[in-house]
Amino acid sequence: MGDTVRPTGIRQAGPRELAIDWSDGERSVLDVVGLRRACRCAVCIDEWTGGQILQPDQVPEDVRPRRIDLVGRYALSIDWSDGHSSGIYTFDLLRKLAAAESSGEKP
Amino acid sequence: MTLSDNTVQPDAVLEILRTVEDPDLRRDIVSLGFIKDLVVDGGKVAFKVELTTPACPVKEQLQEECRSKVSGIPGVSDVDVTMTAQTRRASVSTGPLLEGVRNVIAVASGKGGVGKSTTAINLALALHSTGAAVGLLDADVYGPSMAMMFGLDGRPMVNEEKKLIPLEGHGVKVVSMGFLADADRPVIWRGPMVHGLIQQFARDVLWGELDYLLIDLPPGTGDAQLSISQVVSISGAVIVTTPQDVSLIDARKGLKMFEQMKVPVLGIVENMSYFVCSDCGSRHEIFRHGGGERAATELGVTYLGEVPIDPAVVVGGDEGTPIVLANPDSPAAKAYSKLAGSVASRLSILAEQLGGSQDPVMPGPIEWK
Repeated sequence: MGDTVRPTGIRQAGPRELAIDWSDGERSVLDVVGLRRACRCAVCIDEWTGGQILQPDQVPEDVRPRRIDLVGRYALSIDWSDGHSSGIYTFDLLRKLAAAESSGEKP
Repeated sequence: MTLSDNTVQPDAVLEILRTVEDPDLRRDIVSLGFIKDLVVDGGKVAFKVELTTPACPVKEQLQEECRSKVSGIPGVSDVDVTMTAQTRRASVSTGPLLEGVRNVIAVASGKGGVGKSTTAINLALALHSTGAAVGLLDADVYGPSMAMMFGLDGRPMVNEEKKLIPLEGHGVKVVSMGFLADADRPVIWRGPMVHGLIQQFARDVLWGELDYLLIDLPPGTGDAQLSISQVVSISGAVIVTTPQDVSLIDARKGLKMFEQMKVPVLGIVENMSYFVCSDCGSRHEIFRHGGGERAATELGVTYLGEVPIDPAVVVGGDEGTPIVLANPDSPAAKAYSKLAGSVASRLSILAEQLGGSQDPVMPGPIEWK
């Protein structure tokens, strides 16, 4: 209880970079196009098989968030310029994606 | 001006107050910044102790400890200790939604019939009786009962800005689905409607400044619980259960849901724990005993205590005067007051862990450039 890592600051850090500062001192910088491709919503991921429905190359390189909102205490929701807005990015997922991105893996 | 030997120094007062510790926050009340408006006039000493919640269960003991310790300083003839409170936020604010509300407490249960609404109402009134500003949102969209239990049957007014003005029952601001629906018609809502309704409640109700807003959630783990945890930044959840082992399964489900949503569970309360016979005064454990405590231990959360069965609780609910008001000396009412103190303490501790920071993570949504 109370030991959950939470964001202490969320902001746009570049033309396609989202920066998140965490309460444990970590900082994540995420490429927004990669974020769009990593969407875990029911439209992008098959809920039965867990396989990705979204074809990564369907996502244009110029996709950008229009607006980012907090969801309760655990996630962000992003309204994308391609009209997609049903994805919820939990803080846990964002940390994982950032770790994968910084280690050079594809998320 | 020279200081005579018997003049009391403010530093001496602060020094002795540094030996007074807040039992919840485990720090002395001077370094916590609780001492305000210290005035020393000859042998007369007056100050305020500003706690982090008016519902502090050890308020009287702290006051007495301050008084007796300061009285012991040579030259002190009179000590005036005023207890005040400034409730801290135990959750980071999420912008304009529920702006004036310092803490949102969700009252939840894994299944129906465990007395969740009764717990929420009496908890609200017990918090209010300590001087806290309290609101209660009956979010049991499928079977709202708060209006009746509060003895309220009017409909709330709407101001020119289309904001809903809560009704007031026994000093607590109340908004219930029961105000918007007919009492004898069941409410049938589909998922997206529930979400929209909850957003509306968060956005369009004029709660004003509140120390605590209690949300009476519908039983279970469905759309409404999910929506509320998404729309509102819940400071903590109280899970109501009954002594039977079977409710452990349901309590666990509720706990997992809050864990996923990063909502801290303040603890488990065992309702209908035992019955005290009004004739012989003996205690009967009708549904066995200790299920709540076992659940808390097994699930690794705080056990907040137990509330006995009292027919007066039911009568109080049906007649619109909850037991905390109708019979404040009854075991059930005392149990609710104790629960209010525990809940307030847990929230104060969480607020302290947040670093007393009241800065929002994100003042509003980010507009991408």
